Amino acid sequence: MTTLDAPAERTLTLRETGPATRGTRPDEVVIAVSPAFGDPFTQTIVGVPHAEVLRQLMAGIEEQGVGVRVVRVWGTADLAAVSHIAARLSGSGVSVGLLSRGTAMIHQKDLPRLSNLELFPQSPLLDAPVFRAIGSNAAQYAKGQSPQPVPTRNDQMARPRWQAKAALLHLKEFECIRADAGPVELEVTISR
Amino acid sequence: MTAVAPRPTEQARRSLRTEALEARPVNLDGFVEEWPEKGLVAMESDFDPQPSVRVADGVITELDGRARADFDFMDSFIADHAIDVATTEASMALPSVQIARMLIDPGVSRAEVIAVTRGLTPAKVLDVVKLMNVVEIMQGMQKMRARRTPANQAHSTSARDNPLQVAVDAAEGALRGFAELETTLGVVRYAPLVAIALQVGGQVGRGGVLTQCALEEATELELGMRGITAYAETISIYGTESVFVDGDDTPWSKTFLASAYASRGIKMRFTSGTGSEVQMGNAEGRSMLYLEIRCILMAKGAGVQGLQNGSISCIGVPGAVPGGIRAVAAENLVASMMDLECASGNDQSFSHSAMRRTARMLPQLLPGTDFVCSGYSAVPNSDNMFAGSNFDTDDYDDWNTIQRDLQVDGGLRHVREPEVLAVRAKAARVLQALFEHLELPRITDEEVEAATYANSSNDYPFRDVLADLTGAQQVMDRGVTGLDLVRGLEATGFHDVAENLLTVLRQRVSGDLLQTAAVLTADFTPLSAINDANDYAGPGTGYRLQGERWEELKKLRHVTSATDPETEVD
Amino acid sequence: MSDRLVVGVDIGNSTTEACLALVGPGGAVTHLGTALTRTTGVKGTPASTRGALTAVGRVLAAAGRRSDELDRVLLNEATPVISGLAMETITETVITESTMIGHNPATPGGEGLGVGTTVSVLDLAEHPVAEPAVVVVPPGWDFDDVAAALNAAAARGVPVVAAVLAGDDAVLVTNRLARPVPVVDEVSAVEKVPLGMRAAVEVAAPGRTIRTLSNTYGIATVFELDPDQTRQVSPVARALTGNRSAVVVRTPAGDVTDRRIPVGVLELRGEVRTTKVDVDAGAEAIMAALARVQPLRDAHGEPGTHVGGMLAAVRDTMADTMGDGAGEGAGEGAGEGDAVDCAIRDVLAVDTFVPAEVRGGLAGEITLENAVGLAAMVRTSRSRMQAVASQVAAELGAEAVIGGVEGEMAVLGALTTPGTRAPVVVVDLGGGSTDAASLSADGVCTAVHVAGAGELVTKLVDSELALDDREVAELVKRWPLAKVESFFHVRHEDGTVQFFDQPLPAHVFARVVVLGPEGPVPIGTRHGLDAVRRVRREAKRRVFVVNTLRALRQVAPDGDLRRLEFVVLLGGSALDFEIPDLVADALAEHGVVCGTGNVLGDQGPRNAVASGLVAAHAQDAAPERGSG
Repeated sequence: MTTLDAPAERTLTLRETGPATRGTRPDEVVIAVSPAFGDPFTQTIVGVPHAEVLRQLMAGIEEQGVGVRVVRVWGTADLAAVSHIAARLSGSGVSVGLLSRGTAMIHQKDLPRLSNLELFPQSPLLDAPVFRAIGSNAAQYAKGQSPQPVPTRNDQMARPRWQAKAALLHLKEFECIRADAGPVELEVTISR
Repeated sequence: MTAVAPRPTEQARRSLRTEALEARPVNLDGFVEEWPEKGLVAMESDFDPQPSVRVADGVITELDGRARADFDFMDSFIADHAIDVATTEASMALPSVQIARMLIDPGVSRAEVIAVTRGLTPAKVLDVVKLMNVVEIMQGMQKMRARRTPANQAHSTSARDNPLQVAVDAAEGALRGFAELETTLGVVRYAPLVAIALQVGGQVGRGGVLTQCALEEATELELGMRGITAYAETISIYGTESVFVDGDDTPWSKTFLASAYASRGIKMRFTSGTGSEVQMGNAEGRSMLYLEIRCILMAKGAGVQGLQNGSISCIGVPGAVPGGIRAVAAENLVASMMDLECASGNDQSFSHSAMRRTARMLPQLLPGTDFVCSGYSAVPNSDNMFAGSNFDTDDYDDWNTIQRDLQVDGGLRHVREPEVLAVRAKAARVLQALFEHLELPRITDEEVEAATYANSSNDYPFRDVLADLTGAQQVMDRGVTGLDLVRGLEATGFHDVAENLLTVLRQRVSGDLLQTAAVLTADFTPLSAINDANDYAGPGTGYRLQGERWEELKKLRHVTSATDPETEVD
Repeated sequence: MSDRLVVGVDIGNSTTEACLALVGPGGAVTHLGTALTRTTGVKGTPASTRGALTAVGRVLAAAGRRSDELDRVLLNEATPVISGLAMETITETVITESTMIGHNPATPGGEGLGVGTTVSVLDLAEHPVAEPAVVVVPPGWDFDDVAAALNAAAARGVPVVAAVLAGDDAVLVTNRLARPVPVVDEVSAVEKVPLGMRAAVEVAAPGRTIRTLSNTYGIATVFELDPDQTRQVSPVARALTGNRSAVVVRTPAGDVTDRRIPVGVLELRGEVRTTKVDVDAGAEAIMAALARVQPLRDAHGEPGTHVGGMLAAVRDTMADTMGDGAGEGAGEGAGEGDAVDCAIRDVLAVDTFVPAEVRGGLAGEITLENAVGLAAMVRTSRSRMQAVASQVAAELGAEAVIGGVEGEMAVLGALTTPGTRAPVVVVDLGGGSTDAASLSADGVCTAVHVAGAGELVTKLVDSELALDDREVAELVKRWPLAKVESFFHVRHEDGTVQFFDQPLPAHVFARVVVLGPEGPVPIGTRHGLDAVRRVRREAKRRVFVVNTLRALRQVAPDGDLRRLEFVVLLGGSALDFEIPDLVADALAEHGVVCGTGNVLGDQGPRNAVASGLVAAHAQDAAPERGSG
């Protein structure tokens, strides 16, 4: 095989196009990224490039024939809050929230903030195929279908390896919060 | 606008030695640089407050540089309930170095130290332990530990929540020496069956073992009040107001919960540990140990007899910063200095490196603590529903050997296989009979057989989960209590087990288990800081591993016989 | 002589029931209460004593009585019944030489029909310009790269007409093509697609099904087949019917066959004749053969087959149960010897289907294969109730007597249902067997037991929905369905909508759920609500309606259902929310009054035998016997 050996490196460009608004299309999923996503951070805790994370999430949604918008939440880096803000902006009510270190959540606007449809708390175990599956499931929820939940993995040894780094990334992400700024719409360009 | 370009990766030639080192398990562990401004620092931070206290009209009006008007609720609680107002000004006037020396001076008794520490503020306590290196911390612990006799605690859980596995592993754990057994669940609704299994299995292994089931607080309390569990531990407290508030709690709500247990004579302790606040991003710029000292003082103010600390589930955070494990040892010492029972951690997966795992527990094993591990996994870690412990069943022989090598008592002992098989088989049969009696889902003879010889949950036949969950619900609906279990054990012919359980339940009437660091011996004598007070006063005093107990710990799985070197000691 | 306290105890297959009453000197009965517990061990064996004692203990406690007040314990003549279940798949679909891909990916790409030669994406650069290409893409290719390769080939002049992908990328690739073509994806064994062969790929618009490849003549047109070849491809077309997308590759020897699997022979021995029937002949043939040999004395399956194993296992279980400490007090009618004791007395065969992976398929294609479900029942005439009675008597300090035959007692109990009178027939819809007993106007009682009841229904639901989870299947059987349409409302299976104030749990969002006693439980299936409901009702109909009719024909005068007047349904399955209606509907055609019993006017279909025991005792005791 030729293509997999050297995964193509891609450049992610996120351009703010104005305040995020509530969508009206019932067939869209909103992806919300946290304050430090893409800048200053460029990859997840285990080095999956942010370009690839977004590309796979968006591909999973597109393959289901569902539309996607991407927003950035500035006011918080709490995953449940980020995801719930996005769900309320989403025309379908379904969203994917994403922290810079890779932790992700599928949310729905009618759920309490601290609940969720699917939660992927173990950021070290999330790779490109998982992000694709998360996008695919979010799109299927938006269509009113019943996808099987993305299998979550567990690793007891993730604690010694990643717990402190996760805390550090969390603190750094908090530094990037702009408490007075509302969510903004992003134009996503991923190029080689 | 943000643009993320790919980073170039270069391949430099590496030495073979570097490759060998890279392959060592320790390099799978994560390490981070300190960031004191955010509290990502173990115990040496310029951002921690300076010690101070001011008293007016019998009320503390200033605490560690903060005036009463500026107190957060942690400050208020500690000032009003934890610090002895009468002695605080005198205690605080002592130089920190003098208090640190008192801690390790065999000529100063534990009671004399406590008379001083009860008047100290959190920053002063930190100032004292910062002066101590890890050997001095151990020396301090040796004297300050509340109970004279050290002990150990186990986790007994099942990846399939199989009550039978929990029961037989509890029985084996009790036989091997654990004084307390703790369980929790994957599927929470299984709790009543698993808690019953733990309680009954424990009493088969060794009468007097105490058990608990970690659950959300209301259910945990209910199981305790019903006598299905014997104590409680997983009542978490935090060092900053913001983290407390995030969990919809306050020091007062936790104290109220503690008093609910006390009202029924049920032993309980709080849980806290370094790293939890910074992990949640709310350390308010304080070092991990400073915040943990606030927790310890809060626990003392709440009037609970003890505390489980030693970072616990956040061990990856102090474990990743310089001096972090020294800070963890120090937090255990502070709990003991505050005259609390200390269940000293070592209960969560900590490192990929066996050397690091061992080194991390020496500061607790060598001086001895009230419970060296607050959860040694008495099941394989793959079955550990607390997300893995620092030690598991695979480490039994290593642990026993270390005890023998260093002549220290870590609470366990080697047990010959026939004895292990006997208690496992009995525990399985007892649970089988009890379930049958209580009309709970059947345990088959095939399961009993499998349980006797099993290692992990994979070695058991599958159970009908739906039937089990229905049974678990019935336990709650029918109001089954510990006395019903006693009655069932008696009715099914297991008089000895019934007697053991009844005697444990009776303790809540006498209230003896409410005393600091109480455990029950095999003859049901409560052993606590009251009747087994730590009397260490230098070499030749205090708890010594000798006599019958030392003979017991000399035994290992394979020891060549001196009389007949062609055989092994049995 | 004052009133005497008696308790009737019915040890059933799954539940043990008790009925406590005071019997006056004149035979007047005052009911004091009833209780229910789970049967311990196999009914009628000493292991079942504990359940009986529990039931008695409970009913005494509820009525505030002590066991030393008891005058007599009345036990039913509980003959052990053991039932077994087996499922045999009797057809198999086999694809040879990878001629077709007939799975239904959720999201194929493009639309229309593309016919060309299969070529790997790795060789696309060298593909001749004149030759239409069906591009085959192995796993691991990124959708951007696939689209780029296809676009490059098209730009070079290669007519790229279709693609077959390993990954779930069809829409992604199609969206990136300069000229979209039909794309089928999620073909897991894509490396087995023969290269250099003529192939056709068809994708229909959303909500439509393919038209060309599901039509024999469509395939003939595409591949220019002669009439003989056309005959051969007709199974291919049939297999693809109803799909939204498909791939057909023309290979020299490719074929799809639908063959029957020989699964063994069932030998049915009747009173007068013996017959053999191939299990793969299906349920209808088996039941017809059974009807010819009635009454059945025994049945055997061919050794080494699944059926043989199942029948042997049922027999062995019974032999073990009865052999355990045998020799003591057999009831009347014993003495036929061990071999006959453990004979199979009834068999129920049901046609079903099992979703199975197609052999030779390239994408994990699933077809519904035919299968036969079998329930068999062993009944023994040898009872060990005397041992149970002795233990009960010793434990309670009261005389324990074994009362009449179960069927008669059930009838007596059922007659306490308001609005009934003799002649009457009761049908006990249980877990392992369906039992009927009739009481004629002149007091003659006949009883039969037929194999197959609630457990077979669960098994059919489990396999037909491919749940592979007996617990969920049990829930599907017991409770109505609903579709969770939002966090605040569900649509019930009858179409009504229910709203909630509090949001439903997140794990049931958008799912088909069972509305069980502990709230909605999601069903792990891709089937819609209607399909699940159809499977559930069909399973109940095939077991309970068929068995009720079978049993009634055996007890009805001359086997004529029209001569039955009252039919009372009893047993756990009579509590089901739809089984009584299904049975009643079927019986209505024969002019029979049928309904669920209401024993003692307040027990529903429960406690009939226990109440019957008390009633029989009161009748017997009243005139002549004063005390024991």
